[in-house]
Amino acid sequence: MLIMNNVSRIYRNDTIQTHALRDFSLEVNEGEFVAVTGPSGSGKSTFLNVAGLLDTFDQGEYKLDGISVHGLKDDELSKLRNEKIGFIFQSYNLIPDYSIFDNVDMPLRYRGFSTAERKHRVENALEKVGLASRANYLPSQLSGGQQQRVAIARALAGEPKILLADEPTGNLDSLMARQVMELLHNLNQEGTTIIMVTHDPDQAREVSRNIQIIDGQISDFRIYAPLQTTDKEQSNTKGTTDEHSIEQESVDA
Amino acid sequence: MLRYNLRLALQSFKRAPSLYFLVLITLSVGVGLLSANLALVSAMAGDPIPEKSDQLFHVSMNTWPNDQPQAEPFHILRYREAIKIAESDIPTHSAVFYASGVYARDSKSTSLQRFDSTVRATTPGFFALANAPFAYGSAFAKSSGMEVVIGDELNQKIFAGKNSVGEVLELDGELLTIVGVLKPWFLRPLFYHATEGRAFDLTDDIYAPLETSIDLGWSIHARTSSTVSYKGVKFTRDRNVFYLQAWVELANKSDKKAFQYYLDQYSQSLKTAGEHPLAIRNELRDVNAWLLEQNIVDQKVLAFTLASVLFLCVCVFNASSLLLSRFHSAKFEVGLRRAVGASNKQMLMQGVTESALLGVIAGITSLLLSWFFLKLSTKFLPDLANLAIIEPKILILGMLIALFTAVSSALYPLYRANRYTISAELK
Repeated sequence: MLIMNNVSRIYRNDTIQTHALRDFSLEVNEGEFVAVTGPSGSGKSTFLNVAGLLDTFDQGEYKLDGISVHGLKDDELSKLRNEKIGFIFQSYNLIPDYSIFDNVDMPLRYRGFSTAERKHRVENALEKVGLASRANYLPSQLSGGQQQRVAIARALAGEPKILLADEPTGNLDSLMARQVMELLHNLNQEGTTIIMVTHDPDQAREVSRNIQIIDGQISDFRIYAPLQTTDKEQSNTKGTTDEHSIEQESVDA
Repeated sequence: MLRYNLRLALQSFKRAPSLYFLVLITLSVGVGLLSANLALVSAMAGDPIPEKSDQLFHVSMNTWPNDQPQAEPFHILRYREAIKIAESDIPTHSAVFYASGVYARDSKSTSLQRFDSTVRATTPGFFALANAPFAYGSAFAKSSGMEVVIGDELNQKIFAGKNSVGEVLELDGELLTIVGVLKPWFLRPLFYHATEGRAFDLTDDIYAPLETSIDLGWSIHARTSSTVSYKGVKFTRDRNVFYLQAWVELANKSDKKAFQYYLDQYSQSLKTAGEHPLAIRNELRDVNAWLLEQNIVDQKVLAFTLASVLFLCVCVFNASSLLLSRFHSAKFEVGLRRAVGASNKQMLMQGVTESALLGVIAGITSLLLSWFFLKLSTKFLPDLANLAIIEPKILILGMLIALFTAVSSALYPLYRANRYTISAELK
């Protein structure tokens, strides 16, 4: 589904050169739920931005659903983003003066669907997140958890191959966070591939695989061990020295 | 997508009404001022009779009986030269005339109210030459006879616009019968009398036969020059009094050449007879060349038009800077739309649609403003009253300028908005 080989992303200004990602390699298979953890400034968001085609990379190779994204034009990248990727942001990023329906409808507008098709998809997506009855509400009329579910519905409406979530529960209280995580787990069980950046060790443990990024690279020292370690995970994490890979028990406080 | 983009544009206007109002006013004032000036320039520089302006020629002759006041062809002629022109069968039509004025009333009216009326004392060829539009009746057939053709405005004043052919007017105490009534007739400029600052006068109220007007002694209301003293127009036929203007319609180049030869031969015969000492220089200028020669486009209006172009540029820069701040504050939405799959091209189209809609609204507002500016300008410059009219072509041009300036104002802000890093705007 997602293959990165030796991807580097360097930010430069007049005086400083920052290696946000260095020789970053990762493979995520279809149906996986991957948690990405790491300290602030380690490169998690850069990874997510590059993976979501929101940012470019300087070196390496990146294939999304079998398509090499290197050298694609803006139109082609936009089409890929629209058709293959769904984004869930920490701050929901809903447009405040659009109704819930219009917010969910937004990505479909750029897909060229008919009005009937768009309506059908929006209603389905809202049904999935349990907000079908709130289609005409404004975001401000919903709770934070509900707003995040709307954002998930927006990400789902285009039936993407992969969901990229950047701290989706970061702005929510624990109860609402739990509801959102349950929703994401349900979607994953239905077959949606999810990559989620999180700071929450419990959430990281709940998913099928977690990786830790430190200084723009995948660290072989993972502070949050998954609840179940699969063989698949072992083979999918590249860029680490396999022979030195150590499965860690949780060492968080 | 266009409908969606229009909806987004309206939504955007609703979000920042004060800012868009400022942009709208800025562009509208700039475009309105330019449109008002263009309306004036267009009326001044327009072709008043495009269907045959290249076939109508003003006649200037160099027959002044001595070497004063100038050795240049003169735009007014003596009666004898004018009649020589009228007698020629080379032109399709010819008109020899002078401007006069009388007080007019319906001879049957019980009211003694008289209307101050402008008169064109002319040969009958004038009507066909100038394509005068008849509502009722027709032109008089001869240069003499107690008949007149009247314009629409006078017909409205005296006969309430009805068919007044056959009615008798009392003109300065003389009774003349109406044989034709013209439709409303606007010539901008008034090419047949573009001299003496009258290029933007209205068409005349009364058209009377030339010989009759002279015989009735209707005075000359235009420039005259003479080498002798005379007691009135009645006594001008055989004297060196220059006051008649002449126009001829020449269908093609060979007719023009033949008529030029005709004039030159006549001048030569006068010179040979010792009646003038000047070189043979008779000039035929078509309508546009003649109007150009008269410098009827006011240089002040031209200068003001140039200033209004520069002012519009300032308005565009201001609008652009306002839109830049607006687009900057909309970075989040641009980033979000790009993240969910909108291409740069689609975002550009959205911005262009928004600015085009703004341009249409600015176009309508600017045309209202330009009407207001024109009305205002006629208050200060009453001479412009007959020119202060927004023609359809100026309406269209104003709309196009508004559209162009609105889109131009948005181009740089759009360029900047599409350069934002998508990920930087989203958290």
